[in-house]
Parts: sequence; C-alpha cells; structure tokens
Amino acid sequence: MVAFGQFLEVLISGLLAGVLYSLVALGFVLIFKASGVFNFAQGAMVLLAGLALVRALDLMVAKGMPFWGAVIVGLVFAAAVMSLTAYLVERFVLGPLVNQDGLTLFMATIGVTFIIEGGAQMLFGAEVYPLPLFPTDAWFLFEKTFEGGILVSKIDVWGGMIAAVLVVGLALFFQRTKTGRALRAVADDHAAAQSVGISLDWIWFIVWLVAGLVALVAATVWGTKLGVQFSITFLALKALPVLIIGGFTSVPGAIVGGLIVGAGEKIAEAYLGPSIGGGIEYWFAYVLALAVLLARPQGLFGERIIERI
Amino acid sequence: MRATGGPEIAVGDVLLSVEAVSLSFGGVKAVSDVSFDIRKGEIRAIIGPNGAGKTSMLNIINGFYHPQHGRITFKGATRSRMRPHEAARGGIARTFQNVALFKGMTALDNIMAGRTLKMHANLFWQMLRVGPALKEEIEHRHRVEEIIDFLKIQDIRRVPVARLPYGLQKRVELGRALAMEPELLLLDEPMAGMNLEEKEDMSRFVLDVNDHFGTTVALIEHDMGVVMDLSDRVVVLDHGIKIADGTPDEVKNNQAVIDAYLGVAH
Repeated sequence: MVAFGQFLEVLISGLLAGVLYSLVALGFVLIFKASGVFNFAQGAMVLLAGLALVRALDLMVAKGMPFWGAVIVGLVFAAAVMSLTAYLVERFVLGPLVNQDGLTLFMATIGVTFIIEGGAQMLFGAEVYPLPLFPTDAWFLFEKTFEGGILVSKIDVWGGMIAAVLVVGLALFFQRTKTGRALRAVADDHAAAQSVGISLDWIWFIVWLVAGLVALVAATVWGTKLGVQFSITFLALKALPVLIIGGFTSVPGAIVGGLIVGAGEKIAEAYLGPSIGGGIEYWFAYVLALAVLLARPQGLFGERIIERI
Repeated sequence: MRATGGPEIAVGDVLLSVEAVSLSFGGVKAVSDVSFDIRKGEIRAIIGPNGAGKTSMLNIINGFYHPQHGRITFKGATRSRMRPHEAARGGIARTFQNVALFKGMTALDNIMAGRTLKMHANLFWQMLRVGPALKEEIEHRHRVEEIIDFLKIQDIRRVPVARLPYGLQKRVELGRALAMEPELLLLDEPMAGMNLEEKEDMSRFVLDVNDHFGTTVALIEHDMGVVMDLSDRVVVLDHGIKIADGTPDEVKNNQAVIDAYLGVAH
C-alpha cells in the first residue's frame, strides 16, 4: 500500500507539472497552426510576461497599494506589454517576411528570442524575483489509506485549474466566435481567408497576442514556483519534446503531450533513478520524443503528411 | 442584398471597369492591355482557351495580383494597389477554380466565415461570448440559414467540408461567397468537373442569385452551352489579349474567337 501511495504521489505531481509544459506548448501550437511559423520565442515571451508582471506588482506594492490591487495592475500591465510585443513582431518581423520559407521565419523568431530576452532584462532587471501569487505549501491527502498520506503541492493544483480554464476558454473562443473562426480559416487557406475579407496582418497580430497571453498565464504559475528568472526560458524548451510527442498542429496533442512528459519524467526519476543514477528528469523527455519520432513522426495527434509524387 | 459603403449604382450602369490593364510575371505576359466593363445586374462571362489569362484577370479584380499598368474602377473609385481583404470589404466576393474551402471546418462554419465582415462586436465581447457578441452570432446564424436553405444544403450543415463530394463543396463555396452579400460575385469555373445534373443545379443557383438578389456576376467557364445560356455579355481572351466582347451571339460568330478555339492554319 505504501508503494502504491508513493506511485500515486509521483504520478499526480508529474501530471500537474506536465500541465505547465502543456501551457507553453499551447502557445507554440497556436502560432504554428495559424501562420506556419515555428515560434522559437515562446519561452522568451514567458520570461517577458513574468518580468513585466512581477516588476509592476513590486512597484505598486512599494507605493503602498494593497496586494490584490497590485496584482491586477501587474496583470494589466503585463497584458499590455504582450500586446505591444505582438504588434511589433507582426509589424516589423513577420509582416515584411510574408510568404517566405518556413525556415526563414523560424530563424527570424530566433532573432526575436534574443531581442525579447535582452530587452526584457534590460527594462525590468535580470535578478530572481519572487512572485507570491499562489500558496506554495502542500496538502497531505488520504492519510488514513496511505501511511504519511499523498503529498500534493497547492501550486501544482492551481496550475492545473488555471490551465483547464484557459484551455476551455480557448476552445470556446476558437469554435464559437468570429475571430476564432477567422483564425481557423487562415490556418486552412490563406487565399480563401483573404477573399472573404480577413486581413492576414490582423490575424497574425491576434495569434501572437493570444500566444503572449498564454505565456503570461504560464508565467504566473512558473514564476510562483521558481521565482521569475532567466532560467524559465530553458524550461520552456521542454515544450519541444512535448510538441514532438503530441504533434505540432494539435491543441489536444499539446495538452496530452505535456501530461505524458510531466508524468513520464517524474515516474522515471522515482523508479529508474536509483538504479541508473538520477538526473533522468533532464533528458527523459528528449529520449521519449526521439522514440516517438522513430515510430510516429507526425506525433500522436498530428496530421499525417502525405506527399504526392 | 447589397454591401454597404460607396455610391449607389443603378442597374445597367458600369459597376466595374478595367482599363488598359497589363500584368506580367517576369518575362511572361499574362494579361496585355485589356479593357472591358461589368455593368450592374448583368452576368458577364470571361472565356478563352487555356492560358488565356482569365484567372489572372479575376485575381487582378479581387486584389490578389497588382497589374503593372492600367486602371481598375469599382463603384466609381479608381484604385491602385488594393489588397484582397480590402476588395472584399468593398463588396467583391469570389470562388476559386480549385475549391478553396476551410477544410477543417464544417459547411456551416465555412459559410459563417463569409459573414466575418458583417460582424462588428469587438474582441473583448467575443472572448466573453456575451452581450453584443452573442446577439450578433445568433442574428448572423439566421442569415446563414437562409443561404443554406437557398442552396438546399440543409442536411450537410455539420459535415466537415473535406468529406463532402466535389459538387457539394463547390456549392458550399458559393454559399460562403453569398454570405458576404457581395455586389460583385466572381466565379472561377463554377461548373468545372461537374456532371450534367450538377451543372444544371449550379446554373440555376447562379441565375437565382442574379435574379433574386440582383447580384452582379462575372464568371469564367469552359462549357460553352452554359456560357451561352447564362450570360448577358461575354468577353473573350486569348494569350492575355482581348479578342472579342459582346453578346453571346455576336461572340459565337466572331471569326477571331472561332480561330482561337479551333486553331488556324498559318
């Protein structure tokens, strides 16, 4: 029974950690679907959103504003920063590069990554800023069934709930609103979308804005967990194996992929770690992604690409 | 049905005029010095052998291509470089030669996408899906249902369009264009690849659109029977040059047209 309790604990913490990978992967998928751009800057956008949020919040608190008020000001300010970023990226990087090769656009987003990372730290500072948005202690559940109970950290549960709300909200937005329809239309066929009056510039601004807001949500949770700091951008790279596993074009794929990576690496660490010497968390996701690439290159949920010869 | 904006143009007056338009891609001349007009309320056919520049002409009219020379005047306003979504805003809708639907979406969503320009609730309300945005969705859904009834595609509303047979895809595409309530409807080979029965259905729809809604139609078509039956006036292109312009009967008996289609001994 102890063993099973321990397994549950590892599984739950893994799944909840995976939700955060899903959040970042979601940002990638949104942009990739609508514009075919593989946005390397998604991790940098999480950093930018987090820094904007925490610095505005600290400033307001220092000025004597109550904490909840400062949180609202911080969120609004960070959202404004993300919209400005979306506008600038569309206007000065992707707009002029319209109809270029996918690899060109990818390289451009690498450039955007460096600019955002550098700019964000120049404007907002480069230290570790604690972001106490959510409680960081833990619950002990089922103490009667399992000895010592199952440890579930509250921040992970918050993260899971926020991600769930975000995913449901995005699904409704995409399925049921005019702009959501326009986004899907552009994803399917650029020329046809333009012919019904959809402006590509506008849609690309919207996608980057949505990806920016998703980054902000991810930043609130990750920032609380680790403090807002530069290393967040490396964590965001974990979204790559998530995307390979789930498929680059699939929103459900991003979510399931995140859960698989999160749970998989925690379980591997707990059960294989002792025998082969720990640190599995750092590479497990990539090995899993490699295995998926060999067996099913389009990912679990991706569209199969059939080339006509 | 008429789009908003711009001056009202009486039936029979010039709605769109193309003056001395030339378009080339590198050294290849797709369209050379072509002029013609489209009058409000008519069905205007653009015909010609393969490679005559017909689709290029349509792409110029709705802003996909920008001609190097010449002028295009729509509803009295002359434009230089108009982009496709701006043309759509001005009241020009179109269908494509190879059906260009949003494949992942249902027939209903495809036609709803045609309402994009008619819907004005801002992004904030849309995200919350309350108030003005919800009211608007319902209102436009009604209009779309009218179009669905008109085209007799009630039973395929919820089907993703990629699964529909070709003839029905063409019909959904027409529905999407109609949802824009255009003043000028451009149809690029609406009957290509259809069997006789489907062609007759489609011809009826085109005539009905023109009759009931007063929509001006410009169509490219290869089936001469269809062209002769449907159109009020025909313009004939060959190798990017206009070789004839007139009523179906005039064009049918024009020697240059006969030569272009049948070839001529040199």
